[in-house]
Amino acid sequence: MKKPSVVRPKILLLAACLLIYPLVFSDAFYRDIGVTFLLAAISASAWNIVGGYAGQVSVGHSMFYGIGAYAPLLFYQLWGWPPMFGIPIGIVCSLLLAIVIGAPTLRLTGHYFSMATIAVAELIRIFTGTWDLVGAAIGLQGPAVARGWWDLTFRGELPYYYIFLGVLAVLLYVTYAIERRRFGYYLGAIKAGERAARSLGVPVRKTKIEALMLSATFTSIAGSLYSIKTGFIDPESGFGILISVQMVIIAALGGAGTLFGPLVGALILIPLQTATNTWFGGSGSGLTYILYGGIIVLIARFEPGGLFELWERIAPARWKSGHAA
Amino acid sequence: MKRSCLLSATLILTAALFGWTSRAGAVDAVKIGIIWPLTGNAGAAGQASKAAAEIAADIVNNAHPELGDLPLAKSAGLPNLSGAKLQLVFVDHQGNPSLAQQLATRLITQDKVNVLMGAYQSSCSFTATAVAERYGIPFMVGESAALNITGRGFKWVFRGTPIATDYARTYMRFFADMKKQGKKIGSIAIVNENTDYGTSVANSIIDEAKKANIPVAIRIPYSASSTDVSAQVLQLKEKQPDVVIFISYTADSILYMKTMRNLGYKPPMVIGDDSGFSDPSFVPAVADVAQGVMNRSAWVIGKPGSTTYKINEMYKAKTGRDLDDTSARNMQSFFALADAINRAGSTEPEKIRVALTQTDLKANQLMMGYQGVKFDKTGQNILAATYLIQLHGKKYELVWPDKAADAKLEWPMAGWAK
Amino acid sequence: MLFLQVIVGGLLLGAIYALFSSGLTLIWGMMNFINFAHGEFVMLGMYVSLLVVVWLSGGPAAFGFAAAVALFVLGVIIYAGLIRHVMRGPMLAQILSTFGLALLLRYTAFFIFSANFVSLPQTSLSGTIDVGGILMPLAQLVSGVLAIVLTVGLHFMLTRTTIGSRLLAVSEDRNAAMLMGIRPNRMQALAWGLSAGAAGIAGALMAISYPWSPSVGETFGLTAFVVVALGGFGSVPGALYAGLIIGLIQAISAFWLGPIYKDIVVYALFVALLWLRPQGLMGKA
Repeated sequence: MKKPSVVRPKILLLAACLLIYPLVFSDAFYRDIGVTFLLAAISASAWNIVGGYAGQVSVGHSMFYGIGAYAPLLFYQLWGWPPMFGIPIGIVCSLLLAIVIGAPTLRLTGHYFSMATIAVAELIRIFTGTWDLVGAAIGLQGPAVARGWWDLTFRGELPYYYIFLGVLAVLLYVTYAIERRRFGYYLGAIKAGERAARSLGVPVRKTKIEALMLSATFTSIAGSLYSIKTGFIDPESGFGILISVQMVIIAALGGAGTLFGPLVGALILIPLQTATNTWFGGSGSGLTYILYGGIIVLIARFEPGGLFELWERIAPARWKSGHAA
Repeated sequence: MKRSCLLSATLILTAALFGWTSRAGAVDAVKIGIIWPLTGNAGAAGQASKAAAEIAADIVNNAHPELGDLPLAKSAGLPNLSGAKLQLVFVDHQGNPSLAQQLATRLITQDKVNVLMGAYQSSCSFTATAVAERYGIPFMVGESAALNITGRGFKWVFRGTPIATDYARTYMRFFADMKKQGKKIGSIAIVNENTDYGTSVANSIIDEAKKANIPVAIRIPYSASSTDVSAQVLQLKEKQPDVVIFISYTADSILYMKTMRNLGYKPPMVIGDDSGFSDPSFVPAVADVAQGVMNRSAWVIGKPGSTTYKINEMYKAKTGRDLDDTSARNMQSFFALADAINRAGSTEPEKIRVALTQTDLKANQLMMGYQGVKFDKTGQNILAATYLIQLHGKKYELVWPDKAADAKLEWPMAGWAK
Repeated sequence: MLFLQVIVGGLLLGAIYALFSSGLTLIWGMMNFINFAHGEFVMLGMYVSLLVVVWLSGGPAAFGFAAAVALFVLGVIIYAGLIRHVMRGPMLAQILSTFGLALLLRYTAFFIFSANFVSLPQTSLSGTIDVGGILMPLAQLVSGVLAIVLTVGLHFMLTRTTIGSRLLAVSEDRNAAMLMGIRPNRMQALAWGLSAGAAGIAGALMAISYPWSPSVGETFGLTAFVVVALGGFGSVPGALYAGLIIGLIQAISAFWLGPIYKDIVVYALFVALLWLRPQGLMGKA
């Protein structure tokens, strides 16, 4: 397992860039792109724990994302709770789901696991659309105007940006810590081959469930952040299959199973999405997706290991991770 | 070190990429930002409405004296703004509520639009109107089903189209009329697609039916992407309702009509709730099996020479298809918005908002069959109304209410030739 | 009588599911490759049919054949240009490539044909026949019979012919097959061609009774996945049984529980079955 060693100055510079971005680009639209980028990076990094490091390709992570997204607005609608109170409830529900779903599905390998996760996420999506308590097909809304700062309903994008950035930093730190601990080696061993891992004494089942639970926790937080910021959730934007697929694509694009892979993937994909939509969306000719799909195909064709790997290959040796700056 | 440099360079480049969109607004133009789904599942509806909005802008921007009392048609541009032209900026939210939010932000802060319009799917209208409210930019909801888009205490949101409760009441008035004429309406059935549109309308119909004492024999929600609807049709066949109301999108409404023919099921009357039944693909696909099907519409093409007929001709020249009701309602909302901007005599958002609240368009100034356009405190048009039309041969004819009708209602429906 | 009608409807629906899934299971089983663009192949088959009807005023035989040939060629081209290269890469790159391909195909169709819904004009297969009180739409009946014939034919080809054994040899052990003088690339290109061609025919048959727009592929794609996973990856007869079973379950649950529950029932049964029998109905353990 390749393990990028972290060189402090680089990380600090990256952190500085992310910190000052919204101050340099003070326009609301650019800040909103920044927020979208951070959210995509958080979701993909959360997926990365189980999908990248452990190699269990879930295509149904929207089940956790959606639960996290519904919880804040549900309790706001029911009892007028500040939406952020829903975040821990979402996490608890996602953890329960991870245990219930994980136990049977993680026995499956490869495509069977992917298919099972898609099926569960679709089940939840369809079911949510028929359940009146959670707004059925019409969905739930957040507070239109904040009653106080605790509603986290801000007029501008800046507070969201820094909250999201904080969550991303925590998640990356957790991932970094996992990489260096025994748990991380277990995950790598499972990815390399389950039978071999088991014969080496790795507690495969337990490790997989724990990875899924950790991943579910952060995916749920990502969902909560989404719904609090957007102030709206419906079955499609919470549990839709495209949400799961986007996590997979971003991680795969940047490099699954690497610390910064999902970040790089989000850095490519979100601007690409926004740019194609800005240039061609208004014409409504579908060029947006032709270009977007085409670029994804080209990357898969020529850089199957993700763009992070490309960088590792073309950059001069002294720039690469593992070499002191 | 350098990897972070790459990252930051990308960040800066990204920002620069969008730089060109920030153009300074021209003094002689009023910018209208329009947020619709131009791709994705609702792409067809968004594209049709986009063409309608472009025709509407053409009518306002150029002199069209042939279009009668339609406001702003005679003059070129907006007279109270010394002939300023309307400039449309279209964006595509792809049916994604979060993207709709981002695009509304972009239109306001980057493109500096003076007013906004949109957003078709209720989910996207919810999020986009919230942005407009935050920035204090008037937002005209051209067409969105969910009831509570207006009535959230928003100051800047207006909706020109009738809503689900209006439709439901229209159906009940129609049923009352039919009963008076001795038609039997023992029970009705409701078949609705299960997203925001179908659910909102079906809920309203059930509420109103309860008030009107009309039993609902069965309600069948289904997914519009179903490739087979025979189970639904068999359920209807079993329940034998006197009227079936379909709240459906395009592919599914065509599929229902064909499946009913295939399974030999013909209720006394079928009413389509606009949408799929108004799609230009509907009539050619099912004309031979769905004779006498009724449909809700506030849009009627009318006789040659009439204003509506001329508008339809313009639309046909542009797209090759007839103007459908959904796009026409969007177009009407657009005219109401343009009228308010002209009366405001300014591009200042607050003045436009005040002008919108004072809107009072009379029936003769409209292209639609509303009684007028006048917004209540929540921003909902209270004079919006709708007609019922019926498929005769290869076209729909207006059959109800009687005083507006130009053809006779056929009851029961003929369906298909023996 | 109503009960029988529901059953017949479900089986006819299931036969079409089987037809457009048999192509997916072929490459999924042979190459362990998930094709997210399979639904798009069905969609393209529908548009090819439309073009044949509009430009050449061809009948069902003509446009069915044209759709099969056009999609066969497209399948081979896609294999040669893309799949051959990503096949050996990580599973994630494979997902990425066909997902991108799906978007590319869907929106190229969108660009050319616009977002509007279209349907085929009346063909000789429109109409219904009455068999002892059970009504059967002709188009669906023909599709059903053809689906069964094609699926059985495909199975026969795989198990009883030289080409079939070569295809299987490549999927069992690529290197050993190469030593035996089989060219794996040719075989796999052929598999992609057959897979896309079957989807093309399925599209042509669907087009007779079903109106569509470029985004229709999404609907078919997910159903096909469930059919294939249920039947067992790579098992053509499995896809046939699974297709029929899913069609039946959908029809029965839609009729007695309500149409929105039909997918819930299918997915729930699917998850339960995966748990009990992960290799699918006919898959090898």
